[in-house]
Amino acid sequence: MTSHVGALAINTFRETVRDRIFYLVAVFGFVMLVSTAVLSPLTVGAQGKIMSDVGLAAMVVFGLLVVVFVGSNMVHKEIDKGSIVTILAKPIGRREYLLGKFMGLSLTLLAMLFIMGLLFLVMLFLAPGTFSLRFLGAIYLCFWELILINAVVVFFSTCVSSILAAVFTLGVFAMGHLSQSIRDLGQFQGGPLQQKVSEVVYYLIPNLEVFNVRGDVVHGETVAGELILWATVYGAAWTILLLLLAGAIFDRKELR
Amino acid sequence: MFAGRRGTLARWLTILMMGAVLCLSLTRLDAVAGSGDREERLYFPSGKFLCESSLGFQEVAADFLWFRFVQYYGAFAKGHNDLRYFELLIDAITRLDPRFDEAYHFASLVLWSDFGDFPASIDILKRGILHNPDAARLPFTIGFTYYVFDHDYPRASYWFDVASRCADATDRERRFAAFSRFRMGDDRVSLELWLALQESTESPQMKELAEKMIQKLKNRISQNKTFGNDFVGPVPEL
Repeated sequence: MTSHVGALAINTFRETVRDRIFYLVAVFGFVMLVSTAVLSPLTVGAQGKIMSDVGLAAMVVFGLLVVVFVGSNMVHKEIDKGSIVTILAKPIGRREYLLGKFMGLSLTLLAMLFIMGLLFLVMLFLAPGTFSLRFLGAIYLCFWELILINAVVVFFSTCVSSILAAVFTLGVFAMGHLSQSIRDLGQFQGGPLQQKVSEVVYYLIPNLEVFNVRGDVVHGETVAGELILWATVYGAAWTILLLLLAGAIFDRKELR
Repeated sequence: MFAGRRGTLARWLTILMMGAVLCLSLTRLDAVAGSGDREERLYFPSGKFLCESSLGFQEVAADFLWFRFVQYYGAFAKGHNDLRYFELLIDAITRLDPRFDEAYHFASLVLWSDFGDFPASIDILKRGILHNPDAARLPFTIGFTYYVFDHDYPRASYWFDVASRCADATDRERRFAAFSRFRMGDDRVSLELWLALQESTESPQMKELAEKMIQKLKNRISQNKTFGNDFVGPVPEL
């Protein structure tokens, strides 16, 4: 089973490389260069902060773009072309297929984040007084956020069309960053029923703010090991749950 | 073959012409709108709304507004606009990124230099300290404001003291704490602070300055001990 998943993952990774996804890394490098060289006269004493903010945010944005646009199309493309039937005719289960696709895109994200992270750290190293290894904590949690979003897009791509999967995933991303506010709104403004509903909504939507430590590291705070650990557990639990649900739906899906 | 070439040439010419038309129309539109009017139409929603709508990218949103603010202030300095959106912008920036200490610092400078509003300048710095208790430059700026503009040395020395205890405090904060104590006549505390600075500093110039001040203070303390606090120095020879 592992070899099947591995082969599918590597194949998906190669496919994304062929789709020139890594051009985005070049765009990232350009963004970093612009934020350092061109915008520095406008930063008025906040160059290091702005460089770090822009770099970390760009990693999430580019990662999100890849996940949404590649992930939403990944399964549908093969269904439309009919190649999925050929793959599933071999001794590969549907769940293995989905897992392989998920792993392939995760590998792409890992490679992208690795290169972008390296570029980011080099740029920080060149700017005096900005470089710190604590940024690795933020990049690591950024990776987990994208992995979770990857699982979300795989889940949606098993039950709705590719366009809807992209839209819903972007919706989950937005809601995920607002879930804390939704709970607070229910707690402070609503009656007992609204409080319960907001609490349920809070647990039903992945809270993506737990992976957001970008502000902390930019302002010189070290990310606590406990936070990294629990965020990893939280991200892994949501990912496994979503993949299991996606597998269950995909098992019943009629493929023509 | 020539027809094909002519077609290609015509296509390229059309593309170039369209590019020229676009540039021309944009230039004309800019001239009609006027850059001054653009700033007048500047609108920003409240900081609260921006916090919720920036979806985990609050810091980047704050940076973007910071660029706008710097340009807005630059336009004001050149006389293109007034500062009516100043408070709104600073409120939005500091709500989006409460730890952006440069924003508090710059805003306080604008408040006293352009508005002449010292209490507001100090208030914004105090708000910054609430969110950035370790940033020495915020209490330092409060102390500096009291020291330079109000000549209120007791208050200034209190804030310089606070600044000198911050995590990122340098010799500058410690030097000003010692100086302000000296200015308010608190010689013993000033001496202690200069001694501490002399011991902690790595700069030879600072060491030299500290030594001079220590000598001066020691002389003053011993004079006061001998002649009392009202002693103003030897009577100059006529």
